[in-house]
Amino acid sequence: MKLNLIDVYVYEVTKRLPQKTRDDIALELRSAIEDTLPERPAEEEVKAALSKLGDPALLAASYRDTPAYLIGPNVYDAYIQTLKLVIPWAIFVTIFIHIAESIVSFSGAETTLFVAIKTFSTIIASVIMVLIQVLFWFTLVFCVIERAGAIKGGHRLITSKTFWTPDDLKNIDMIPKKKAISNGEVVFGFVWTIAWGLVYFNADHLVGIYRSEGSGELQFVMPIFNQGTLQSFWLIIVAFILLDLGLALYKGASKKWTMRLAYVNAVIHGLGLVAFVVIASDPNLMNGAIIPYMAELLETTSSSVTQAIEWIWRLVAAGFVVSTIMEIIDSYRKARM
Amino acid sequence: MDSLPNSFTTELRRGTLTLAVLSQLHTPQYGYSLVQRLEEAGIAIEQSTLYPLLRRLEKQKLVTSSWDTTESRPRKYYLLSGHGTEVYRQLKREWKKMTLELKPLLKGADEVEFD
Repeated sequence: MKLNLIDVYVYEVTKRLPQKTRDDIALELRSAIEDTLPERPAEEEVKAALSKLGDPALLAASYRDTPAYLIGPNVYDAYIQTLKLVIPWAIFVTIFIHIAESIVSFSGAETTLFVAIKTFSTIIASVIMVLIQVLFWFTLVFCVIERAGAIKGGHRLITSKTFWTPDDLKNIDMIPKKKAISNGEVVFGFVWTIAWGLVYFNADHLVGIYRSEGSGELQFVMPIFNQGTLQSFWLIIVAFILLDLGLALYKGASKKWTMRLAYVNAVIHGLGLVAFVVIASDPNLMNGAIIPYMAELLETTSSSVTQAIEWIWRLVAAGFVVSTIMEIIDSYRKARM
Repeated sequence: MDSLPNSFTTELRRGTLTLAVLSQLHTPQYGYSLVQRLEEAGIAIEQSTLYPLLRRLEKQKLVTSSWDTTESRPRKYYLLSGHGTEVYRQLKREWKKMTLELKPLLKGADEVEFD
């Protein structure tokens, strides 16, 4: 019975240890425990000796020399830096693929609004899945690096190849926070441009008057714009989409506002403003059928609807002009800082 | 009980433990005899700390071990290796230097305290 207690204790310790060290530690531990006890110990004495050794799990833990953590201080920095680098790209690529897929597979059988909502929800689900995958695999890889490094004796894993010297400081570009362009901004710019391009070329089944049916579904009544007129400007729009994507890439590479970037930004957005005015002032832009429809709906005359629409146009145009100018001024202000 | 001074004390002791153990291994010792020797010197060491420490020192080739099976119960004896003796000498020198360096610093602090 008394010996049994010691046996069980030793078993409790060694079962938590690597196979090849078990026998040796078991033998050593048993003789060490027996050393502290008299020839024929009472159960109380055995218990006292064992409680002095403490929790078998803790004792086993102090025998083990593999680290009790997944990612230790040696690789932690590299791990975090890698994640910071990879996660924005993973999110961006996921969003991009889903939007591209929706465009390619768009058949017109469903309304664009429906497809957009569907795409949006699948994007959220996919981004979460991708994040889980990215976190899992990178954590796994860094765990392996951690374990391998622990065996070698643990040099700090650094992302640069050589040792640090004060001369390295000369190559570092300090970016003040107010001047910086975040990755999120760049990714958002990308997605924003593509989304608007998509809306533009599908305006005939997306931008229009909707009426809610009795069943709660949205019924597309008629488009606001003449798709033919919109389509006739396709060259300008494609050119601006490409320019805007290029600008987003430039911003991403630059990482901060410079005078040159602010200038390019001003030129592209200034031209965009001109293009907007040109397109917006095309007399055939609006779907003509909309005016009588609205007049009937609001129980008023066609001329007052036309007037109201003209006012709305002026407000939208003014808002567009003001926001563009403010954006340009803001970019120059940041570049000058 | 104040835990902060406590944790500093634990840290200080952990640093000196290796030195204390190495100092007693010029002659072969087994686990429990080492505990007794250290306790006689006033150094309280948990057995659960000592046994894993001895194995680690062996793995680091500072001590060698051998099983003695001639007596009624087998015992594992630990002894300083050549490398271990060298490391012990260095550590001892370092310890003496450190205490000498700390002495004037601590003395200065004491005087201020008693002013």
